[in-house]
Amino acid sequence: MPAQNQTSPIPSSDQSPGWVRVVVIGRNWKLTLARLLVLVLTCFVVFRLVLLPVRVEGISMLPTYSNGSVNFVNRLAYLRHEPRRGDVVGIRLSDPSIRWPSVMYLKRIIGLPGDTVTFTNGTVLINGQALDEPYEKYSCDWDLPPVKLGPTEFFVVGDNRSMPAEFHVFGKVERDHIVGKAVL
Amino acid sequence: MKTVFRILLVAALAALGVWLWTMIFPSPQKIIRQRLEAVARRASFAPDEGTLARMASAQSLASYFSTNVEINLDVPGRIQHTIMGRDEITQAALAARSTASSLSVKFLDVAVTIAANRQSAIADFTVEARISDDQDLIVQEMKFSLQKISGQWLITRVETVRTLSILDFERTRTPFIVGA
Repeated sequence: MPAQNQTSPIPSSDQSPGWVRVVVIGRNWKLTLARLLVLVLTCFVVFRLVLLPVRVEGISMLPTYSNGSVNFVNRLAYLRHEPRRGDVVGIRLSDPSIRWPSVMYLKRIIGLPGDTVTFTNGTVLINGQALDEPYEKYSCDWDLPPVKLGPTEFFVVGDNRSMPAEFHVFGKVERDHIVGKAVL
Repeated sequence: MKTVFRILLVAALAALGVWLWTMIFPSPQKIIRQRLEAVARRASFAPDEGTLARMASAQSLASYFSTNVEINLDVPGRIQHTIMGRDEITQAALAARSTASSLSVKFLDVAVTIAANRQSAIADFTVEARISDDQDLIVQEMKFSLQKISGQWLITRVETVRTLSILDFERTRTPFIVGA
């Protein structure tokens, strides 16, 4: 009977390619292709335009971020408001015309536009008032004369201040160099 | 169908023509980028570099700079040094090879601005360098000034850019000097 032939089991040698094909390409290749395109587009938008994946190199943000740890910089964090004191931000080194910087500094904002920032025996003074810094675990003895910030300038520094000030990258940064806020 | 095929063929030929044109007559930006990549390659060295190769690459590195080049390096905690002329570049490159076992240099995020006269240019970029097996990566924003001299883009001035500035502090601190 022809019907019996149609329902008879397919030999295993023929079954294997079909099963692999379903796993790899799916039942409908057009739908799979569409899903793949959506996935690629989503990854591009998320990891290029919104959350920049970064790998921390160096010890300047210890103990908050250790060498080799992975983080994300949210580029949309400051769409509605300006960066705030205590935020950890990604700072571009390159010209602002470079849309996707390859390298960034990861630093904490301690001074806002208009502030005067001073280091006195390791204590940060903002407009003469001592700044409470619970994230700073390694104390320092840095002394820094008052630095007045302009209307578009922020003062950033790493959490690890155990090394001499000369060995630490910190200071004033223009607003257009701040790429976004660290997520983790 | 024939028309579509013809349009596609013309478009492909046009793209090929544009590609060939840019390959044969590259823009000044492209030439400068290629030269900067070459400078980074020449500045880098592996631990197993032979003496002759060492000399050759040090001299080759110097050839990318003008004879009266001025290099001002000021990387906090690492280096504060001024180099004048090609001979000093060669000496510094050889000295670096004798003090460190290896060096890896990359120029990232290069932005090239060509002057209106098309005879000079400024290149802003980030240098990423790793000395030997040092855990710390050196990252520094830099600015190169270039000039077209005898048909070649040569580097005439190199300076470090302070992304984070602490000008008041810098005026008062004691200079710290680390070897080249």
